[in-house]
Amino acid sequence: MENVTPSHYIVLSLCLFSIGFLGVLLRRNLLLMLMSLELMLNGINLALVTFSRSSLNLDGSIFVFFIMTVAAAEVAVGLAILVALFKKRRSVFSEDMNVITN
Amino acid sequence: MEVMTNMDAFQVFAEDNMWRQIWPELSLVLGAVLVLLVDLFGPKQQKKSSLSGSLAVLIQAFLLVYHLLDYLLLNHTFERSSFSGMLCHGFQGDIARTFFLLASLCVSIMGNRYLFLNRSRVGEFHHLTMVATAGLMLLCQSNNFIVLFVALETVALAFYPLVAYNTNSEKSLEAGLKYLIFGALSSALLLLGIVFLYGVGSNPEAWGASATYDNSRDYLSFEYVGDLLFNNPDNLFLRGGVVLILSGLAFKIGAAPFQIWVADVYHGSPTPITAFLAVSSKAAGFFLLLTLVNGPFFGVSDFLLPLIGVVATFTILFGNLAACTQQNIKRMLGLSGVAHAGYLLVAVMASMHFAGDSDRAVWVVYFYLFIYLFASILIFAVMSLAHFENTDEDQQFEHYQGLLKKHPWIALSLLVGIASLAGIPPFGGFIAKLMLFNVAFEAKLHWSMVSMVLGVVISIYYYFGWIREICFQPKPKFDDEEKDQDLWLRLDQIGLIKFTIICFAVVSFVLGIWQGPFGDAF
Repeated sequence: MENVTPSHYIVLSLCLFSIGFLGVLLRRNLLLMLMSLELMLNGINLALVTFSRSSLNLDGSIFVFFIMTVAAAEVAVGLAILVALFKKRRSVFSEDMNVITN
Repeated sequence: MEVMTNMDAFQVFAEDNMWRQIWPELSLVLGAVLVLLVDLFGPKQQKKSSLSGSLAVLIQAFLLVYHLLDYLLLNHTFERSSFSGMLCHGFQGDIARTFFLLASLCVSIMGNRYLFLNRSRVGEFHHLTMVATAGLMLLCQSNNFIVLFVALETVALAFYPLVAYNTNSEKSLEAGLKYLIFGALSSALLLLGIVFLYGVGSNPEAWGASATYDNSRDYLSFEYVGDLLFNNPDNLFLRGGVVLILSGLAFKIGAAPFQIWVADVYHGSPTPITAFLAVSSKAAGFFLLLTLVNGPFFGVSDFLLPLIGVVATFTILFGNLAACTQQNIKRMLGLSGVAHAGYLLVAVMASMHFAGDSDRAVWVVYFYLFIYLFASILIFAVMSLAHFENTDEDQQFEHYQGLLKKHPWIALSLLVGIASLAGIPPFGGFIAKLMLFNVAFEAKLHWSMVSMVLGVVISIYYYFGWIREICFQPKPKFDDEEKDQDLWLRLDQIGLIKFTIICFAVVSFVLGIWQGPFGDAF
C-alpha cells in the first residue's frame, strides 16, 4: 500500500473541480448547478490546503476561510433568487429560464 | 496590567495598518449601514422622495467632493502601501476611487426615480450600491491576491441581488440567476488560477521553477508573483494560472469568449443597475487588468500579447456584429459595451508594450473610461426618464420614435450621449478613440487597429439606427392607428437627473474640444 502523497490530493482536487465545472455546464437542474459551483470551490480549497501543508506556509490555509465564507454567501444569494424565481415559474430547470430572449 | 499591554499591542497593530488610508471606503460602508438603519427606523411616508434615498445621494456626493479636495488640494498623493503591503494606494487608485464614487452617485440618483416608479424598497438598493462601490474601490488598490479575491467577491455578491432587484419581474430574477451562475463560474476559474500561482510560488523547486528570494514569505503578494513570473516565464503551471486569472477578469469586462452573459443580464436588470454594470463593473476590470499586466504579469508579456490580441479582435468584431441585429436598446448598449471593452483591450496591449505602469496608454485607458462613463450615464439617465407602466426592461427602438419633436431637450442630450459613444467628431468619444488609435499605432499594433477601424465603421450602423428613430419618424403614421402613449409624460421628480443629464452632456462636448492634461498624450 502506497503512502498518500500531496500529488494525490492535487489530483483529487482537480477532479472535484472538473466534475463541478462539467456539472455547471451540463446539468439542467439549477439546484444541481449551484451544488456544482460549491464542488468547484471545495476542490480549490483542497488544493490550497495541500499546497499550504506541503510548503509549510499558512497563507493558503487562511485563504480557505475566505473562500468558504464567500461560497456560503454566494449560495445563499443564489438560493434566494432561485426560490423567488420558482414562485413565479414553478420550475427549476434551466431550459425554462427563457423569458429573456432577443 | 495585562489588559493594558494587550491594548498597547492592539494600538501598535492598528497604527501599523494605517486605517486612515482607506477612509473613503470605510466612510462609504458606514454610510451604507446608516442608510439601511434610517430606512428601517426612519419615518414611513409615501412621498416622492424617501429620506434614505436622499441621504444616500447626499453621503456619496459629499464623499466625492471631499475625496477630490483631499487628493487634489489637501494631501497630494504619493505611492504608499498599507495593511502590510496588502493594499497599495497612489494617484491611480485615487482616480479609480473618484470614478467609482461618481458612477455610484449617478446610479443612486437614477435609482431613486426607478424605485419611486416601481414602488420598490429603497434602503437595500442604496446600501448594496454603496457596498459594491466600496468593494470596487478596494479592488483597484489591492496588492495581494487574497484582497483581490475578497474585494471581487464583495462586489459580485452586492451585484447579484441588485440585478435581481425587481422581484416582481421574472426577467430581473432570471437575469440575476444567470449573472450569479456565470459570475460564480468565472470567480472559480480565477481562484483556480490563483491556486496555481500559489502552488508553484510556495514550493518552486517541486514544479520546475526557480526560487527568487525567500526573505519575503508572502507568496500571494503581487511583488512575489511578479518576480516568480519574471524568472520563470516558460513554466506551464504559471502560464495556466495567469490565463485562468485573466479569463476570470475577461468575464468582468465582458470580453470574448466570456461575453455570453452580457446581453441577457443587461436586458433583465433594472436600468440604473444596467448603467452600474456597464460603467463601474467594466471599469474595475480594466483598472485591475492594467495593474496586473504592468505589475505581476509583466514577466509573461510576450506570451500574453498575442493572446490578448486575439481576444481583443474577436471581442470588437463580435460586439459590433451582434449589436447590429438588436431591437432592444439595453441589449444593443450591452453588446456595444462589449465592443468598447475590445477597444480598451487594445490600449491595454499598448500599455504592455510601453515600459512602466503609468505610461501614456494607461492614461488613455483612464480618459476613455471617463468619457465612456459620461456618455453611458447620460444615455441611461435619459432611458430611466421614460415611464413604463410595468417594467422598463423592454425599451425598444420604436419607443424613441420622434422624440426630437416631442421633447427636444431630452432628445438633444441623448443625441450627445450616443454621438460620444459612437465617436463622432465634436464630442469626447471621438478624441478618446483618436488617442487610443494614437497609442495603438505607436505600439505597432497594426492588426488590432484594422479590427478597431472595422468595428467603429460597423458601430456607426446601429448607433445611427437609434439616432434615426429619435430624429425622424421612419414609419408612416395613419390616422386610424392607435395613438401610442407618450412615455415621457410624467417628468416629475427628475430634478437631480435633469441636472446630471445637462452636466454630462456639457462635459461630453467640452472634453471633445479641450482635454486639459489628458491632451498631452498627443
